Amino acid sequence: MAVYGWSGKRLGQKSSAALLLTPFVVAYLAFLVIPFLNGIWISLHNWNLMAVAFDPNAKEFVGLRNYERILWGKNIVWSPAASPLVQWSAAFVLLSTLLLTAFGKISRGTAVLVGSIALILFVACGFHPGAGGRWYDRRFWPTVGNTILFVALTVPSITIISLSLAVLVNRESRAMAVFRTIFFLSQVLSVTVVTLIWQLLFSPRQGLIANVITLFGGSPIHWLTDERFAMAAIVITTVWWSLGIAMILFLAGLQDISRDIYEAAALDNAKGWRAFRHITLPNLKRTITLVVVLQIILHFQVFGQSHLMTGGGPNDSTQTLVRYIYQTGFRDSELGRATTMAVFLFVIMGAFSLVQFLLGREDKD
Amino acid sequence: MQSNRSYYWLVTLISLPAFLWLVPTLWMLSLSFQPNDVLARTTSSTFFGLIPLPFTLDNYAALFSYGQTPVWFLNSTIVAVGMTLAVLFVSTTAGYALARLSFPGKNFVIIFCLIGLMVPEQAVFIPLYTMFADFGWHNSYHALILPRVAVPIGVFLMMQFFKAIPRDIEEAARLDGVSWLQIFWHVMLPLARPAMTTLAILTFLYAWNDYLWPLVSAQKREMFTITLGLASIQTNFAQSEGLGRIMASGVIATLPVVVLFLLFQRYVVQAMTAGGTKG
Repeated sequence: MAVYGWSGKRLGQKSSAALLLTPFVVAYLAFLVIPFLNGIWISLHNWNLMAVAFDPNAKEFVGLRNYERILWGKNIVWSPAASPLVQWSAAFVLLSTLLLTAFGKISRGTAVLVGSIALILFVACGFHPGAGGRWYDRRFWPTVGNTILFVALTVPSITIISLSLAVLVNRESRAMAVFRTIFFLSQVLSVTVVTLIWQLLFSPRQGLIANVITLFGGSPIHWLTDERFAMAAIVITTVWWSLGIAMILFLAGLQDISRDIYEAAALDNAKGWRAFRHITLPNLKRTITLVVVLQIILHFQVFGQSHLMTGGGPNDSTQTLVRYIYQTGFRDSELGRATTMAVFLFVIMGAFSLVQFLLGREDKD
Repeated sequence: MQSNRSYYWLVTLISLPAFLWLVPTLWMLSLSFQPNDVLARTTSSTFFGLIPLPFTLDNYAALFSYGQTPVWFLNSTIVAVGMTLAVLFVSTTAGYALARLSFPGKNFVIIFCLIGLMVPEQAVFIPLYTMFADFGWHNSYHALILPRVAVPIGVFLMMQFFKAIPRDIEEAARLDGVSWLQIFWHVMLPLARPAMTTLAILTFLYAWNDYLWPLVSAQKREMFTITLGLASIQTNFAQSEGLGRIMASGVIATLPVVVLFLLFQRYVVQAMTAGGTKG
């Protein structure tokens, strides 16, 4: 074995491990841990990008004031009917979750997940400026609201469409393999290619959609500049772009369901919709939850679609959290406030990642 | 043959959404083969523009004779290949150490990495920007590569793979007096080729398609990646060099990932599933 020459022959197990771990640990500390902690540090400062670049002492420690300036306002009060639609739907979901759990209709994991989202929405949406009050940052909460709306429209659409497609294409044949490839293909495109295509598709003058609508005698929709359609346009684009991964995860879940169950059920005349309802859905419960959480994490960080297709407009109606962070940091040079919002994003994403991790754990047991 | 008939029904049923799903990509491809002066008037010459008639190759010729698309393409290639090699190196070494060697503090390192999975890129890109600015690193290849070298997902992917390899292979080598590093290099790495392929594809796709970090780090046009360059020419169609050319850039930008996908479909699906469920 000496032919291998020197490669740490004298190194024991511990030293070998230390040597092998060094590249990762160094890079991990330098490019993730330290920047992350540094981000929290920056968020405690009044930190202008340009000013600090010229003079490192031009930052001012302000404690938690950035958090107050972004999250809070003057004379903020809470009421259960500040945004009735969201709050009451949240309350309804919360109550139904409690009832369904009490009757053992849904698993505890799902109940905790759905229940806490509903509770947070119910409480958070109740805050609003009272008489003579205002938010210190008028754009922040509407931006968060847009992001949540985007997630709330995108995630169920993708989940339902991809699940239906997965069920339909889940069989061994040449044609089905081609279909799977087609539905997955758009997933590998970059966000800029996707927005390039869809910007033109949606164009009222040159767009394919406008051309088809005109053919049937309609008048073209100004998708990206009309407040009523801009969000829908971005959602459609995103559904087209990222449905593939959800479909693949569902296909993997479907493969795990034993054929025997379906055959046994077929003897009881449970086929088609009934088989789907009573066999497929119950067996896919965990996959569905996983896909939903995964999608929430992914789409809460939406940036490119909003940045490139609508520029956050019209009238801020498609402004999303990551785009607001980017603008605050790199257009307004307000790094302190931008990192504060980034910490807010991290807290939300971290919570969902934790849920995802725990679900993954459950999966293996 | 009732089941056969229902199968054909199914194929027909799915054909429609499948065709619709293909339309945007096909349209881009078709427009890239049409003359710019025609496209300035109408984008629906033949069958809504889905068939490239009138046909021309000028847009592709123009891309390579002037403009920066070839430079951007080269930048993307360097960044994606560089990042892939770096991630493979860092992930296999750390993954092997965590999976097969015992040393004090191992669980701490694993948990420490797990926490990293929860930190989204968007939460650290501003401090990364200031750090790289302090070093004067922006507008360089290493600035585009380094932030994504230490990805916990890569380490976990390799760790799980190495854990599944039977112990006796290693023990036989140990009895022969082979060192741990030699085992890693000569025994483990060759076995890990499938996992490494998956990780390489995941990283390559990520690097090729990443938008936010190149957007803040690369300000000079000659340092743009193709993904970033494409964003810079699409902001205003009317003032641009012509629709056909933009679409040709889009096709060129897409070609590597689509070829990768069609050649290694199984690995791509695996990679994206792994990246999706764990990172």
